[in-house]
Amino acid sequence: MKRALRPCLFLWVGIIAMGFPVLAHHGSRISYDMTKMVTVKGVIKEVHFVNPHVYFTFEVKDDQGHVTEWGAETDPPITMIDRYGWSRSYLKAGDEVTVTVWPSKVGAPRGFLAKLVTADGKVTDHTQQLPPQ
Amino acid sequence: MRTLFISATIFIFSLVFSSIAHAQNARRLAPDSLKNAPFDPHDLSGVWWGVLARGANFGLGGTIPPMTPWAVERYKAAKPGLGGSGRAQPLGNDPMMNCDPMGFPRIMFWTNYPIEIVQLPKRTMMFFDWFYTYRTIWTDGRKLPEDPEPRWYGNSVGQWEGDTFVVRSTGFDDRTWLDADGHPHSEDMKLEERYRRVDHNTIEITMTLTDSKAFTKPWLGDTMSLRLADSSVEMREDVCVPSEEQRYKELIRNPAGGATKPN
Repeated sequence: MKRALRPCLFLWVGIIAMGFPVLAHHGSRISYDMTKMVTVKGVIKEVHFVNPHVYFTFEVKDDQGHVTEWGAETDPPITMIDRYGWSRSYLKAGDEVTVTVWPSKVGAPRGFLAKLVTADGKVTDHTQQLPPQ
Repeated sequence: MRTLFISATIFIFSLVFSSIAHAQNARRLAPDSLKNAPFDPHDLSGVWWGVLARGANFGLGGTIPPMTPWAVERYKAAKPGLGGSGRAQPLGNDPMMNCDPMGFPRIMFWTNYPIEIVQLPKRTMMFFDWFYTYRTIWTDGRKLPEDPEPRWYGNSVGQWEGDTFVVRSTGFDDRTWLDADGHPHSEDMKLEERYRRVDHNTIEITMTLTDSKAFTKPWLGDTMSLRLADSSVEMREDVCVPSEEQRYKELIRNPAGGATKPN
């Protein structure tokens, strides 16, 4: 077992050494807390398939019926098309969605999209990616 | 405990590498099998993806020379909105965040979008998908203008020195930043770029920036490269539209950063 531990230690050193420049390059979503995620369910209000960030707003109703408007941004269209198979019509007003975001640091109902699940089961999963740029 | 440690190591290692592989796949590259295919070293044409040296922070990289007092003032006034320098803040004043022109050389370092090079008899054109803009490098033997009008993308001439395409530029508009960290330049900036196609799939580029009003020494950047894009990659027209950016700020960036209350 000790033989197996030594390569593991080297791997950890490598992961840490690689990770810092990667995070330095990509860890720029300065408004968002990348250490935690929040999941809410809502209904899409507006979708903006524009540069440099695709973003959408959606309404979330709490148990008392109070509605809060949330907003989530994600990568630019070129990335959403190539990596996730999105198009301009991927989401539309009225769609029911479950949205997981890295939330705003100041507590606003805004976030960077970590995961999106639509009512018909389509999944966009950012959580297995590098931290967003 | 040991088993847990080993399992965790293997899991995290797999995750890191699968993430990197996935991230790179989105920028569809020409297949590695073409790397050793024959190529003309004087042919730079094609659609390319930029690849920066590690730690370049969307800029030249290399060792940043000391700034002059004039440049220090401008650098202090610059409030980056992204990048890994530690200066980024949610509500910065990066010109790009108003969709103002990136200018040259900064647009070379925004590597999420492809670049197309077209070589014509008397000029070489570089098209940038981000901002959907271009620059002209004159190769008809003309000299650089002596007192040029400043331009966002400068005035450029190019010539072959052996197998290296050398581009010299002058007359830059000083409102652009050099990188995501907000390093400034003056209208006196001169830039030398050296392009060398090292294999079928790769062009290596080094840049040297000389600007005595802003830096006390020339700034030699790290070697960056252009990687040939897969033949399926097209220039997409990725324009930064000011009115769209304004709406994005109102709806997302400003509330997320704490500047305004959300709707």
